[in-house]
Amino acid sequence: MAPKVGNNRATAERRQQRKRTRAARKSTFIPLWALLLGAAVVVAIGAYPSYGSNFYVLSLLGKFLCFAIFALSIDLIWGYTGILSLGQAVYFGIGAYFVALSLKINYALENPTRYGGKIPDFMEWNGLTELPGFMTPLISTPFAVACALVVPTLFALLFGAITFTRHIYGVYCAVITLAESLILQEFIIEYQAYTGGFNGITDYSNYTNQQFLWIILAVTVVFFIGGRALTHSRVGTVLKSIRDNDVRAEFMGYNVANYRIFVFCVSAFMAASAGALYAAWVGLVSFLDTGPVFSIEAVIWTAVGGRATIIGPFIGAFVVKGAEFFLSGVLAFWWQLVMGGLFVFVVLVMRDGIVGTIANLLRRRRKHAPLAAVIEESDRKAHDRQLDWQPEGNPTRSREI
Amino acid sequence: MASFLEIRGLTTKVAGFTILNNLDFDMEQNELRVLLGPNGAGKTTLIAMITGQYKPFAGTIRFEDQDITALPPDRIFQTGISRKFQVPNLYETLSVFDNVMVSLRGNRKVFRTLFRTLTPEDEDRIWEILEFIGLADKASDAADTLSHGERQWLELGMLISSNPKLLLLDEPTTGMTEEGKEKTAALIQEIARTHSIILVEHDMHVVRQIARKVTVLHQGQRLAEGTLAEVVENDLVREVYLGKGKYG
Repeated sequence: MAPKVGNNRATAERRQQRKRTRAARKSTFIPLWALLLGAAVVVAIGAYPSYGSNFYVLSLLGKFLCFAIFALSIDLIWGYTGILSLGQAVYFGIGAYFVALSLKINYALENPTRYGGKIPDFMEWNGLTELPGFMTPLISTPFAVACALVVPTLFALLFGAITFTRHIYGVYCAVITLAESLILQEFIIEYQAYTGGFNGITDYSNYTNQQFLWIILAVTVVFFIGGRALTHSRVGTVLKSIRDNDVRAEFMGYNVANYRIFVFCVSAFMAASAGALYAAWVGLVSFLDTGPVFSIEAVIWTAVGGRATIIGPFIGAFVVKGAEFFLSGVLAFWWQLVMGGLFVFVVLVMRDGIVGTIANLLRRRRKHAPLAAVIEESDRKAHDRQLDWQPEGNPTRSREI
Repeated sequence: MASFLEIRGLTTKVAGFTILNNLDFDMEQNELRVLLGPNGAGKTTLIAMITGQYKPFAGTIRFEDQDITALPPDRIFQTGISRKFQVPNLYETLSVFDNVMVSLRGNRKVFRTLFRTLTPEDEDRIWEILEFIGLADKASDAADTLSHGERQWLELGMLISSNPKLLLLDEPTTGMTEEGKEKTAALIQEIARTHSIILVEHDMHVVRQIARKVTVLHQGQRLAEGTLAEVVENDLVREVYLGKGKYG
């Protein structure tokens, strides 16, 4: 091999090499045009209340932004790391419930119920006469917000520590997350004195106004830039390599489980933030917001927008949710059919989603298999490996199912 | 003095079959060892055992005086052992450059990796490796667009970039053209100047070109060991490969 080249090269040559490297990595952090376009979109959404008078559209905008953050959280684990979670709404829901409970308790303190109790109405209906002791810290909204962000992240850490260190992934992981979300739903319905049960938590002072829209926008921007930074960093490259070939990554010295846990926690934190904002904006949180249907919907937004792209989830959430609201108004009876057709179209024709397909066309990297196919292939391989032969004696850590 | 790699009494059973049977194996530093043997002799299994893919039924594996028998694959890698798979294993959607980049030696802990940037030294090293394996012109192509031979070379490049003490190469020339094989053999000889290598190879042209010391495995046991000429002359080896000469 050629001797190691030192660092004392001519600057022009160095600049040339930097350029070459950037080309090889196909990456600038955020291209200028994307920055300008993004800023324009942010200003347009943020200033909507000044030029648009339709309150319904305003409320939708805030909602969609929360959904976009939520979809981004799924994109991080699914698109970039290859973990399909059908229970991501668990983290969204826990975040939302903490904030909703806190707001509801505060609302009840100022607006006593019909019988004069200063507790949320659903507690009174269920025979409680005063706020349960363990809920009193939630009177402080900042504390509740902190809980809304930290508790789901710790939950994700626990979940990851249980599953990923045992090398459970692929279909198995998806099924376990699904079960996780069903369990939480049951829990919420069962303990209705504390959670509002089937009816959820509603009737509290929520924040559907321009200031709060700017807050949601700010959080969205932070997460999208943060997500870009994460996936653009060395860890991002490792995550992608784990998605492409986790065995190679493991035999290259990466503790795959730790990376999966890490990204799962980051993703749960994002989902929880989206949930917290959602609860404050919409003013209604129910068990449906923690359920598998909602999770799967978000998976669809991500798939439609484009997996493994940062802007895809944003576009996916807006397009799918927007189409849903628009079509349900126009085609009251068969809009769901149209939506179904749209998904089939995306799965069959645009396998990399809207953004991925456009990027492919622009870069003309058509000779390269669609990302979706590669991910599928690696999923299949993961499954085969788990059915792989096993020597007698104790199986190693990596062979357990 | 204990040797570089020392395997004692290694036994592996799969579904009742004994794949490796009480195998002893020693290797010195900077050695290029070729593993030969008929199908099912246990060559690939031996490599899988050393890298921690499977846990042995009995026996110990020591590398540089450290017992690595029960360690998980990523820890074994960190002791300085890198492995090339029989079928090239790459990160398909990453560019050739990125494939080498993630393999660079360095701390692999999550938070250390998070703030690690590409230093000019790293960059130089990656380009040097890409030129060495002859893929510098394809640095920005995705790995899944490469031909089979190029994939093999890329994986070799990834191994070198992780700067291991011991490389385990499982049939690096399978499915290659003649020129490809020659190039691979040249690459391996070049790598062997600075690294210790265990090579599993079937192609006798390649073996003749590079072999220094050869170990022949048969039914999970060491049948013969020595230079290629010695091994080829060995009666036991002839018997295993050609059958008993009843009429000879």
